[in-house]
Amino acid sequence: MNGTHRLAQIPPGVQCFVGDEARRRRRVEETVVRVFEGWDYEEIIPPLFDYADVFAGEALAPKTYSFIGRDGSVLALRPDFTSLLAKIAAGRLRERATPLRLYYSGEVVRFEPPKAGRQSELHQMGLEHLGGDALGADAEVLAISAECLTAAGARDWVLALGHVGVFNGLVEGADLDAARLELLRERVEAKDPAGVRDALADCGLRREAAAAVERLTTLAGTPQVLLDAAPVFAFSAAATAALRELRAVVDTLAAAGLGERLAVDLGEVRGLDYYTGLVFRVFAPGLGFEVGGGGRYDGLLARFGRPLPAVGFMLGLDRLAVLLERQGTLAAAPAPAAETVAGPDLGHSLRLARERRASGARVRFGPGGTR
Amino acid sequence: MTSLTVALSKGKLLPGTEALFRRCGLPFPDGDSRRLVVAAGELRFLFVKDADVPTYVEYGVADCGVAGRDVLLESGSDVLEPLDLGFGRCRLALAAPARAGFSPDRVSTARVATKYPRVTTGYFLGRGLAVEVVKLAGSVEIAPGLGLADCIVDVVETGRTLLENGLEVIETVAESSARLIVNRASYHARHPELQALLAQLRGATA
Repeated sequence: MNGTHRLAQIPPGVQCFVGDEARRRRRVEETVVRVFEGWDYEEIIPPLFDYADVFAGEALAPKTYSFIGRDGSVLALRPDFTSLLAKIAAGRLRERATPLRLYYSGEVVRFEPPKAGRQSELHQMGLEHLGGDALGADAEVLAISAECLTAAGARDWVLALGHVGVFNGLVEGADLDAARLELLRERVEAKDPAGVRDALADCGLRREAAAAVERLTTLAGTPQVLLDAAPVFAFSAAATAALRELRAVVDTLAAAGLGERLAVDLGEVRGLDYYTGLVFRVFAPGLGFEVGGGGRYDGLLARFGRPLPAVGFMLGLDRLAVLLERQGTLAAAPAPAAETVAGPDLGHSLRLARERRASGARVRFGPGGTR
Repeated sequence: MTSLTVALSKGKLLPGTEALFRRCGLPFPDGDSRRLVVAAGELRFLFVKDADVPTYVEYGVADCGVAGRDVLLESGSDVLEPLDLGFGRCRLALAAPARAGFSPDRVSTARVATKYPRVTTGYFLGRGLAVEVVKLAGSVEIAPGLGLADCIVDVVETGRTLLENGLEVIETVAESSARLIVNRASYHARHPELQALLAQLRGATA
């Protein structure tokens, strides 16, 4: 491939938005950011790149664009915001009283095949609630995500809630190496009971525990699932505690009027390796993929020297825009009509145009192009 | 609410799928229609190539579908697999010329002809073995005899095709059967309807 060729070709994974499309996206972003501000979150605009170590994590590492800096250090384009915000909260904002309420809206870069409006460069809008009471923070973050979806105009969306403590509690004491554990997790995520049985063969897990892990593949649906699950997990103190936490979140949201929007999915065990409690994802008819999601990550900030409990969530702007378009609720955003200011005397016309601009008009200067 | 959309392959799993749906009293399109999108009862059916079923379901164009586990593994699609439907049993196997003493760990790089490049690559690399995958669209069994490859990874049902081409199974790579697959978003956004469908199918496969 020669240089001239590359001037026309675009690299895989990038995209560009023009005119109406760009305005519609901007409008969705503004709507969501207004909700974040409305709940008194403070904006952070973190750097585009940082040391690669900041983003350590098995899930993200293979998708990260890293490069060598001038001084020989390994840097990475941010593949997510959460690690950066954790670093900033533990560093520059170290003296700030908790809870910290922070939000962001911007692009992350991940090496991922394009899917459902998402390219390698994807726009995330999200927030982090750091150092607060767990139940209150979890419920607040879920209520905010609900408001974002409603405000953006999404219909029939569902918040599917899980808790990583259920799965982790059940496999406690099992003789599973990392590869087997990964396979098991993946089979639970696929809701494949036969696959779970195979993955658990001869791993020394007690029969009731193995049966309970298999049940994770079917324990999903309305919050009623929490009641069905209780006897199945009764033998495990850790799983029961996780279930109790999840139930408290569900009850709080139901009391706040969001009960209809909740689903419980105890097979929700995927996700970045840093989640420690509640996990959730947003689904809606019209988009086959999740629109966003989040969860509790109480271990992450300790990495940066300021142990704080934390919960956060994010919505993908690209996904949300595609969803709204498919659901027919993303109104067209034509540019407002402009008034043309032109005349033979360039200086005089420009003065007129400036005056019209000063009074707020949308002005097109000059006789226009060749169109 | 619109009806649930089911993606089915027009390939070898179709007779088993039709028999299962009829046994469950579920609607199924009648006759040998050439239409690719057909409504029947409260369901809508898409008839697509078997390798495309996971794609339609992953993207949510179909809420659910029926696909072989072999096809699923090769697609790498992120879909739910709540039910083993029990028919279409076969295995993906590594096969080589019979009595030639082939073993993948005896060569520096195994040349493998297959329709399953993703599964094959993962299988070899996962065991620390170098592999050169020769991707073919069909008639994979003739590749070793003609010198295109040392061995093949392909679907084996009875083993007759292998025998006719002078091949024998060296190792099983994966077991396969027909699976009901479900889109992740539909699973929650269309939960009651999908659970009803699942319950009916589960009853007939138990």
